[in-house]
Amino acid sequence: MPVLFGTSEWAHALEEGINASSEYRNAGQSWGTGFNGNILFAFEPGGAIARGSYLLLRLQEGRCLGAEFVPGPTHPDQGFALRAPFPLWLDILNGKTLAASAILTGKMRVEGNTITLLKYAGAHRSLVHCVATLDTRFPEA
Amino acid sequence: MDRLYTLLQNRIEGVVSTPDQYHAGLLSNFGNLFHATPRLVVSPLTARDVAATVTFAREHGLTVSTRGAAHSQSRVAISDGGILLSMSSMRRILSVDASAPSVDVEAGVVWRDLVRHLAPRNLAPPVLTNNLSVTVGGTLAIAGIGVSSFKYGTQGDNVRELEVVAGTGERLVCDRKKHADLFWGSLAGLGQAGIITRARLDLRATKPMTRTYYLLYRDLRGFLHDAKLAMERGRWDHLESWASPSPQGTKPVAGRRQVFARWFYPFHLTVEFDPGHPPDDEELLRGLDPFERLYVDDLPTVDFFERMIPVFDLWKQGGTWKHIHAWIETVLPWEHAVDCIESVLPDLPPSILVGGHVLLWPARGTTSKVPFFMRPPGEDLIGFGVLPAIPARFWERARPMLENLSRMTELMGGKRYLSGYLDWTEDRWKNHFGDQWGPFTALKHKYDPHSILNPGFVPFPAAPADVRRVPGESVPAAD
Repeated sequence: MPVLFGTSEWAHALEEGINASSEYRNAGQSWGTGFNGNILFAFEPGGAIARGSYLLLRLQEGRCLGAEFVPGPTHPDQGFALRAPFPLWLDILNGKTLAASAILTGKMRVEGNTITLLKYAGAHRSLVHCVATLDTRFPEA
Repeated sequence: MDRLYTLLQNRIEGVVSTPDQYHAGLLSNFGNLFHATPRLVVSPLTARDVAATVTFAREHGLTVSTRGAAHSQSRVAISDGGILLSMSSMRRILSVDASAPSVDVEAGVVWRDLVRHLAPRNLAPPVLTNNLSVTVGGTLAIAGIGVSSFKYGTQGDNVRELEVVAGTGERLVCDRKKHADLFWGSLAGLGQAGIITRARLDLRATKPMTRTYYLLYRDLRGFLHDAKLAMERGRWDHLESWASPSPQGTKPVAGRRQVFARWFYPFHLTVEFDPGHPPDDEELLRGLDPFERLYVDDLPTVDFFERMIPVFDLWKQGGTWKHIHAWIETVLPWEHAVDCIESVLPDLPPSILVGGHVLLWPARGTTSKVPFFMRPPGEDLIGFGVLPAIPARFWERARPMLENLSRMTELMGGKRYLSGYLDWTEDRWKNHFGDQWGPFTALKHKYDPHSILNPGFVPFPAAPADVRRVPGESVPAAD
């Protein structure tokens, strides 16, 4: 049964998916050690969504300690933010664009230390895979 | 028959070929990524032939692309509808001066031939590329780096004099004082201002034997620590290193299982010595802390210079020489070396390196004075080269990974070595050259005002109209 993107149910399912992923556990095992590893994913308006959605993942040492949609485009607990229009996120989730390519070409905007983020490209790719494999109902245009 | 064929052939001593005559190998380069068909191929015999060809091209609205051994991998050493100058026909070693050691060579001389020519006199160019089957003119136009660059800089730093045919068709002899802008601008200048036809190269005295210590490191930081120490001590003649994968099975990567590797770092340190006076091993290696000392190899120095030839022969025999080569070689600032290399290697499938390798070369920024050889600021630098051989059917899968690798090294302050694979927009060229972009563009406009030379690689802005005129052309009357 697909879960609607943007709901607390979806965020919870994602948290479970991340914590069940040995790929993420290995790739992210030192993520957040000595720095704030919480990432705010900003799904900005575009395509099927008229209003932005903002997902905060609390990530530390290969685990997801919490996932929630937050009301605003920034959050005091965020260590990093990744911002892109919704259609680009869909391209990434569908495998048409690599997240690293989006970051490196500037199509996705990064707040936080880009070099730290890129050092853990494998962990973030694994996160993307966790999202992509969730049975999700995305808003339709 | 192309009407221009006879016209050009009548002007030069060398050979002009048309598409039905020249070898199909001239349609691409070592990269096997870009293909183009030249209208004419010229194998010049003299600098006068080169000048006549450039003048002819200007008169007939053609471009001229230069080709040495064509080891480059981008839109270099190929021509799309223009004239391809195959410089390998100019391969004479002209004279050796043993007193103030130097040698005069034509641009098409292959470094291996020069090394063998000089070996009986115990002389050698201070810097030699790993692949010796490339030409003097070709590597000087890129910069030319090798395992002694940490001491002597680039091959371009060891040039006394050049003869260059500019895009205007003029033959100019230049050095650090005479036409100095063209001299420096021809070194690592990508053949944009002029075509090197002759070079006077510095030589150094060599000792007849080399001893190489094969050390192995199991972590990057340990290797870098010792690489820096080795450079600082000044006892070593050659330093060479790699990242070497040890496959460990498969792991999921975005849900698909992929072979992954534990990476190790071989470090080869070499000293030259006279027979009967072998080096003191313990003294040389004191302070270095490898995971393992694997092997100590004594070789005649000329064999050391040629050490990669059996490796390249293996790659040729295995068929990988004909694969796509999209090499990403970058000079990194020391402070970002670990971040950069450790973010790249975990994702690098070991199989991509069949017929290739990952190079690391310790370097020092102040050893080079060549202005267009771009490198990060600072004294300690590390070269990082991912040199894959990719079967054509895997190219589309590998390309985004390699392009990301290039962008990431640039983001971390690295400067690409320009013989490899790159397909840049103007913004990235400007970013690469930084404050040298203006001088590079000005040099192009001065010496190649009609943009005849080596088009399709660097996207220069067009020269201003008043610069595009050449001596003898009439100036249009003002309205």
